[in-house]
Amino acid sequence: MDLLPTAEQTEIANAATELLSKELSTAQLRARIGEADAVSPAAWQACAGMGLLALGLPSSVGGADCGLPEETLLFREIGRHVAPGPFLATVLAGHLALAAGDEALAGRLAAGSVRVAHLEPTPGASVTAATLEGRFQVRDWAGAEYALVLGPQVAVLVELSALGPITAYPSIDPGVRVGEVDVAGAPVALALADPSELYLRGLVLVSAQLVGIALAARDLSVEHAKNRQQFGKPIGVNQAIKHKCAEMAVAAERAHSQLLFAAATCAEGRADSEFQARAAKVIAFDAARKNAAATIQVHGGMGWTSEFDAHLLVERAEFLENTLSSRSDNLAALIGLDAPQ
Amino acid sequence: MDVGFTAEQREFREEVRTWLAENRPKQTRPMEGLETRDYDLAWQRTQFEAGWAGVSWPKEFGGRGATLIEQLIWYEEYGRADLPSVDSCFVGLNHAGPTLMARASEEQKAFHLPKILAGDVIWCQGFSEPGAGSDLAALSARGEIDGDEIVVTGQKIWTSFANTADWQELLVRTAPGSSRHQGISWVICDMKSPGIEIRPIKTMDGGAEFCEVFYDEVRIPLANVVGEVDKGWDVAMSTLSFERGTAFTAGQVRLAHVVERLVDAARTVVGPDGKRPAIKDDEISRRLALARAEVASMRAMTYANICRTLRTGSPGPEGSIVKLYYSELQQEVARLAMDILGLDGLKFVSRWLPNSWSGYFLFAFSQSIGGGTSEIQRNIIGDRVLGLPR
Repeated sequence: MDLLPTAEQTEIANAATELLSKELSTAQLRARIGEADAVSPAAWQACAGMGLLALGLPSSVGGADCGLPEETLLFREIGRHVAPGPFLATVLAGHLALAAGDEALAGRLAAGSVRVAHLEPTPGASVTAATLEGRFQVRDWAGAEYALVLGPQVAVLVELSALGPITAYPSIDPGVRVGEVDVAGAPVALALADPSELYLRGLVLVSAQLVGIALAARDLSVEHAKNRQQFGKPIGVNQAIKHKCAEMAVAAERAHSQLLFAAATCAEGRADSEFQARAAKVIAFDAARKNAAATIQVHGGMGWTSEFDAHLLVERAEFLENTLSSRSDNLAALIGLDAPQ
Repeated sequence: MDVGFTAEQREFREEVRTWLAENRPKQTRPMEGLETRDYDLAWQRTQFEAGWAGVSWPKEFGGRGATLIEQLIWYEEYGRADLPSVDSCFVGLNHAGPTLMARASEEQKAFHLPKILAGDVIWCQGFSEPGAGSDLAALSARGEIDGDEIVVTGQKIWTSFANTADWQELLVRTAPGSSRHQGISWVICDMKSPGIEIRPIKTMDGGAEFCEVFYDEVRIPLANVVGEVDKGWDVAMSTLSFERGTAFTAGQVRLAHVVERLVDAARTVVGPDGKRPAIKDDEISRRLALARAEVASMRAMTYANICRTLRTGSPGPEGSIVKLYYSELQQEVARLAMDILGLDGLKFVSRWLPNSWSGYFLFAFSQSIGGGTSEIQRNIIGDRVLGLPR
């Protein structure tokens, strides 16, 4: 038992951090506001070139032969950098394609030559292993060939062209493009018979991004509390600020630990995988929302500006909360599941 | 990043589980006074005789010398078996004992450590004073050196089990005119010494092990000073992080069981609408689900903390994060229990009795105060984990 990342795993996370700061910084995110695509083709290719789209896939399809733990650290870093781009849908699609036996598609996804948009069904929409019907929210579809729908009962890819016309609408998060589409019986291109493992992987990777947000917010606050001078001293000497930072540390540490526990549990296929993954999402969202809000408060007027990054953390957390499952879905599941082993 | 245990560790768990099941105390723990002393010591003795006493103590001091992972397993199984917490043996096993190991003379160690381990004696802590709570360095109990004795006059307070203890780890100011961290000595005090008066303080949960202790020219041999005279602050600080090690793991596992018992209770108790079981109430159901998730996250945090200690070799200030959260979670669970029980929650049931929710609710208030208040924990996290300016 060693819950913490190994030296090799930490190295992977560090390499991802380096690339994300270089290619997908918040400055670059802002520079692409108004573009259809939140990530430039060059930046996307750079990420693919580093293997970020296929960490958990086997080398036979161009992957890095790593597992969920490594992917978890990558997505934590994506969250920490509030990096834009269809990482989640594309990475999950790679696993879907592989599990469904389409190695060629898995390879193209790994190589970054195919992007996948994310679909969230709105209430009333239906998804089966054969067709999609009803209204869906679409995210980051520019340049995408497929769209992914993933839920506890369903894991499918559809061709983007089969969906019909997408109406773009303004997004609260300048790093996520969002639209709506009314689908009339779009045929599924690829489906998994048993979506449960992929769904849990998705929950863990969403939780990982939320944990990254909680950590980033904590660190921004601590940095500011050390440096910002008021009344002739750093504001961090005041318990009103210091204790807020301490609470952020508790929330982040708790969410991070639960995330690692869930990633390890799911990777080992333990019986309590679903419990741990859903718990990770609930705890991670609470930490991300709380810490992102607290960092705005610690930064005062600056925290509320568009120029400062804190609002990106707030907004991304809300997107992630509405991805694959909501807090109330998870709580409803958690009360029904067996107590963890 | 893995949560699997080796075959050897799984075997160890099996061994612990079997032993605890076969040897657990048959009676429920008495509620107060000397009976608790006998009960706690007898249970400690049972563990000692089977070689399970002091799982975290090194072998050279007679302990089990278990690895951190084995300690974790021991405490997990201990908590899972819903055994009585070590209570009156806690200070000896987890605070005074480790301090003696770190700082006492060979003679002091040889005399005291085996007695603690074997369940012969109970230790209590004489640190806090009416004028020195969170600010321990403000302590003023006087220790005048007179030949080969220290003559102690003053008062200590919030001393759990002073009324049943044999020995006390006592901090007194031995350097006249000294202040703050200087001039304090860490002394082993015999609780039967003439001049000691113990007054129990009744607590809001009905407990009677909390005491104040008065010292009127109590004579303690100078040979009972641990470390150097006037350098006791350093001795007292040497084991603070030990306290935050694995010792609270059993309580955390027990809390997971408390939550599960509460889920069970919510299935049978009638809920707020007066018709359906409480668990059918949306708010109660969600809070129970959240409590389950939160208990899981606390366990994950404990694991992470132990793994960090394994890598660095000594427990770090991150233990304060676990302690702070553990206190808050107990209180949230206790509130949730009261909400589920409704009118039944108003019947007082001592926390030592099975299915006590009201006693637990009242007890839980102590958890964010004892062992360093939550405010002090936030200071430690801010200063030592995050490196914020003081």
